[in-house]
Amino acid sequence: MAVLHAWRAARVTPLGELYAPPRMTAALIRLTVQVILVASLWNGLYQQTGTTAGIDREQAVTYAVMAVLASRLRELDQYAGRDTVLQHMHFGTIVYWYLRPLAPQRYYALRALGEQLYGFAWALAGFVLSLAAGVVQPPGSAAVAGVFALSLLLGQLVLYYVMLVIDQFCFWTLRNGAAMLILIFAQNLLSGVYAPLWFFPDWFITLSSFLPFQATLSVPLSLYVGRIPLSDAAFQLSVQAGWVLVLALFTRFLWRRAALRIVSQGG
Amino acid sequence: MNAVRIAWRITRLNFRAQLEYRSEFLLMIGIGAIWQVSVIVFATVLLTRFTGMGGWDSSEVLLIPATRMLAHGIFVLFLGRMHGIGQIIQEGMIDTYLVRPMPVFRQVQLSVFPTNAIGDLTVAIGLMVGALSRSDLDWTAGRITYLVVCVLGGMFLEAALFTAVACASLRFPAADYWGRWLEELLGTFGSYPLNVLPRAVSGFLTFGLPLAFVAYFPAAVLTGHGHDTGVPYWLAAASPLLGLVAFLGARLLWRWSLGHYTGVNG
Repeated sequence: MAVLHAWRAARVTPLGELYAPPRMTAALIRLTVQVILVASLWNGLYQQTGTTAGIDREQAVTYAVMAVLASRLRELDQYAGRDTVLQHMHFGTIVYWYLRPLAPQRYYALRALGEQLYGFAWALAGFVLSLAAGVVQPPGSAAVAGVFALSLLLGQLVLYYVMLVIDQFCFWTLRNGAAMLILIFAQNLLSGVYAPLWFFPDWFITLSSFLPFQATLSVPLSLYVGRIPLSDAAFQLSVQAGWVLVLALFTRFLWRRAALRIVSQGG
Repeated sequence: MNAVRIAWRITRLNFRAQLEYRSEFLLMIGIGAIWQVSVIVFATVLLTRFTGMGGWDSSEVLLIPATRMLAHGIFVLFLGRMHGIGQIIQEGMIDTYLVRPMPVFRQVQLSVFPTNAIGDLTVAIGLMVGALSRSDLDWTAGRITYLVVCVLGGMFLEAALFTAVACASLRFPAADYWGRWLEELLGTFGSYPLNVLPRAVSGFLTFGLPLAFVAYFPAAVLTGHGHDTGVPYWLAAASPLLGLVAFLGARLLWRWSLGHYTGVNG
């Protein structure tokens, strides 16, 4: 029974996508065009340059294309379904999360799981097609593929918790659209979505190493393209696992504090 | 004149409304600035790592993001509410706009004060000053006038693109998704010489999604690269005019789309 409830909660957002054909079409076109544009841009940039920042052309193109594909993993539009924490706080409907026979943290986790699995299907299909078309390089070895898969999983967990922290801030701030945009921007910049972190100045790389964002994308992709050697993988994976643990405890604490702020039916 | 007075009064009220939440107000300025800074960071990283991009030197390349960002900042200030209109449609507010004695387009623009435009414009002006001071070009009155016209043309072209997306949103509110992608594409690919891309791709960004006309072609004409853009020189030079024509076309499309809009009550 619990599994059935979990399945029903997890499939809400993917079903919402299926009922919005323009969004599905847009996702397909956007992913295709973005992959072509990004691959073309990095190929063009490397025309007159050899290896830079320890990354050659194939590595850069593979990294950039996979970053585009990975961005699909958490890109579903909950906003259109009016089911973001920000919207619930704005309309006061967050209280219903606390009146259901399903804990809000569990509901949130199930929704995110459904989104990430649905996004993963898109990303995987894009990856297979890109691999077949020769746009991205295959992993260097089976060991690299295995370490990448593990690192990607840990990265998605870190991403889940980072996004959860951003959402949880809504419980304390009545108007925080800008703060959320800034945090999402920081997540994109410091995780290497815009450009591989290796291209940035040393101080920037040092700064990002103290933050959880690079664990979400930069580490798995750097392991995949070989910019981080397998000999350093154990350390990187343990850092990712450390972030998962720290953020899990922190968000657990925030859920408890947030529950104290919810007032139902005037108290 | 009366319309201007009303618009000014509403804008003042909207501005005061934004000031109600001071930290949110400051953060909104921050997000505008940070979004623009991200474009600069990305451009700086690329310019540092890949010198001589597409045969342009770095001071010439800098003129492209400076023009685009300034055009974008002015667009956000005056016409930017077309971006994100899906929310207005979803919440049924557009139905209210339809019965008020003011054009819907104007009401949408006056729906909220774009605080983030302050941040956008601050960074954009800073970058433009930097780009002009680093430029070796002789900034004659003619060149400066052309640059100003190009910035305005870029604003109109961006407004035309977002108005076209808004028209789609009137039919499919979820089409707002396309607007977010459009903004991302303008930020990512509208700031560099497009001749680094394969011909088919740069052709798509010229004739499919005409973002080359926002800043790349104007900057090419100004810096003497106008003959190497892959399109006739006159077409590159006419970019600002094309922006204006596209905006007028988009307004006609908006009027037609609004006439065919059906709310939830039929």
